[in-house]
Amino acid sequence: MMSPILDINDLYLSFSTEEGELEAINGLNLEVEQGKIHGLIGETGCGKSVTGRTVLGLFDSNTMIKGGEILYNGDDLLSKTQHELQRDYRGNEIAMIFQDPGSSLNPVFKIEDQLDEVLRIYQPGKKAERRKKMIAALNAVKLPDPERLLKKYPHQLSGGMKQRVMIALNLACQPSLLIADEPTTALDVSIQAQFINVLKELQKEIDITILYITHDMAVVSEICDQVSVMYAGRIVEDVSMEDLFNKPVHPYSKLLVSSVLGPETNIDNLVEISGSVPRLINPPPGCRFHPRCEHMKPECKEEPPVLKEVAPGHQVACFKEDLS
Amino acid sequence: MNKKFLLNRFGRTLLTLVGVSIIAFMILHLAPGDPARIMLGQFATEENIEIFREQHHLNEPLPVQYGAWITGVMQGNFGYSIRYNRPVHELIWTRMWPTLTLTVSALVLAVILGFTLGILAAIKRNSWLDYITTIQAMFWISIPAFWLGILFLYFFGLRLRWFPIGGMAGLASLVLPVFALGLREEAWFARPMRSEMLEVLNQAYIRSARARGIKERVIITKHALRNALIPLVTMIALRLPWIIGGSVVIEVVFAWGGMGSLLVNSVLARDFPVVQAILLLISFAVVMANLFADLLYSVIDPRIRLED
Repeated sequence: MMSPILDINDLYLSFSTEEGELEAINGLNLEVEQGKIHGLIGETGCGKSVTGRTVLGLFDSNTMIKGGEILYNGDDLLSKTQHELQRDYRGNEIAMIFQDPGSSLNPVFKIEDQLDEVLRIYQPGKKAERRKKMIAALNAVKLPDPERLLKKYPHQLSGGMKQRVMIALNLACQPSLLIADEPTTALDVSIQAQFINVLKELQKEIDITILYITHDMAVVSEICDQVSVMYAGRIVEDVSMEDLFNKPVHPYSKLLVSSVLGPETNIDNLVEISGSVPRLINPPPGCRFHPRCEHMKPECKEEPPVLKEVAPGHQVACFKEDLS
Repeated sequence: MNKKFLLNRFGRTLLTLVGVSIIAFMILHLAPGDPARIMLGQFATEENIEIFREQHHLNEPLPVQYGAWITGVMQGNFGYSIRYNRPVHELIWTRMWPTLTLTVSALVLAVILGFTLGILAAIKRNSWLDYITTIQAMFWISIPAFWLGILFLYFFGLRLRWFPIGGMAGLASLVLPVFALGLREEAWFARPMRSEMLEVLNQAYIRSARARGIKERVIITKHALRNALIPLVTMIALRLPWIIGGSVVIEVVFAWGGMGSLLVNSVLARDFPVVQAILLLISFAVVMANLFADLLYSVIDPRIRLED
């Protein structure tokens, strides 16, 4: 097997809050293979966005890294200073698109200025050449009339257009890994499909690796090759997209998949996951899912289960006997 | 920029100026007693007072008097100073440059120092630099202008003899009044700049720019500062009347021969034509600064720039 482009090992991360220490990431293991679109899915608050931001070292001030390593092509990003991350990794190696396209573009600069700023850093050239590249970049994300668009300010664009500008902006950095943190959550459903198609086509064309963070199972089925299911700061299952929908193993993954509304779903069969994501200040011991799990056994309350391979490319962290 | 917005803004500015001119004119008549007697003093003869009244149209109804005065003002004729017996516009012309030198220097000092301290305090939040910025700002704001001026005179003029203790002899004599006036205003810029920068640095577009690997220096000086400046421009316009007001006091303390000291002397001497003219000019400056800030606002913030 190829060595993964991103390899997160036993990551522990907490936030200090007024109520105490919030253990947001608790022994996370994640491998993202080169050239894939890797989904990171889970309920709101399970720590998936934090994971994405931590890769780039974009912490809030109350963040405490408690242990682990984040290997990018073998280099531990957690050992880098902010300056080293800025100079060597952010943009040119790893870029990131955030959830809210409305506030991700600087409101006082034209699209042209924001694109050109990035091009001057990562693809230096003459002004006319950069301009050609700008137009090509906007064409690549299927934005109409790029000449006119360059002269516009962010507030003059729709949400979907802004998010496509964000892709153009991030791909202009020529990164090898793109972290997309719920990029479609703020968009209308019709715009979502358009955005996902653009992203999928581009991914094939330039052979970039994407870590796609989402809670939307429909989006997962559209775009992902491989999926990591996250629950309360840990990966509970790592599986190909097809197997996730056809034969999920972890009780939580099963519930996630059966909670999806498809065209043939009978509304009476729609499963609701009872209970809610545990509070991460004083989280439940052992497997954090055990209070909501129907297969709960005594050992689930003691030690958290580790990821075990149940089939090639399919890992599950669970104490259940028949892992199939 | 939108035509309607411009017309509206200019219209309101004009209206304000008319109001201001009426108030400046009325000063003479609002003071208790007969303007002619006040101006000529208690030893004037009845005959002289009557001649003075005729000369200055004081027997006419108020609207007619205002009309005559404002017509003169439009032509640059502010009347005659009673005390100096010279045309008011000549007096003001010679006194305007020292005042402009003082206020503009103080404003430049306040903006440069205030913005720099505010930005540094925001970047180095909760550091000693942040605390010192806050403490010094509170210090300058709490001291009245005249007292700060006197303290500066005493320590840096009399005691240390670093700077002259007044008058207008070259650049050295500019230092103390400019600092006495500017440091107070710096305090008004440093704190808002700090909180604006802190707010902007928390915005998603800053995080997103960082994720693209843009240098921290560029993030601060370009991406964040440009956004933080928007409210600060209004702050400058709002402080302008206070700087001019402060300059009146500072000019008197430092024997600075500008419009401020002329105003104070003219009030004491009841030289009303001069008082009226200076009031009108200062108000004009403040109103125009506000208009300018509004227009600048839409240059800095494209969202305010209305489409046509």
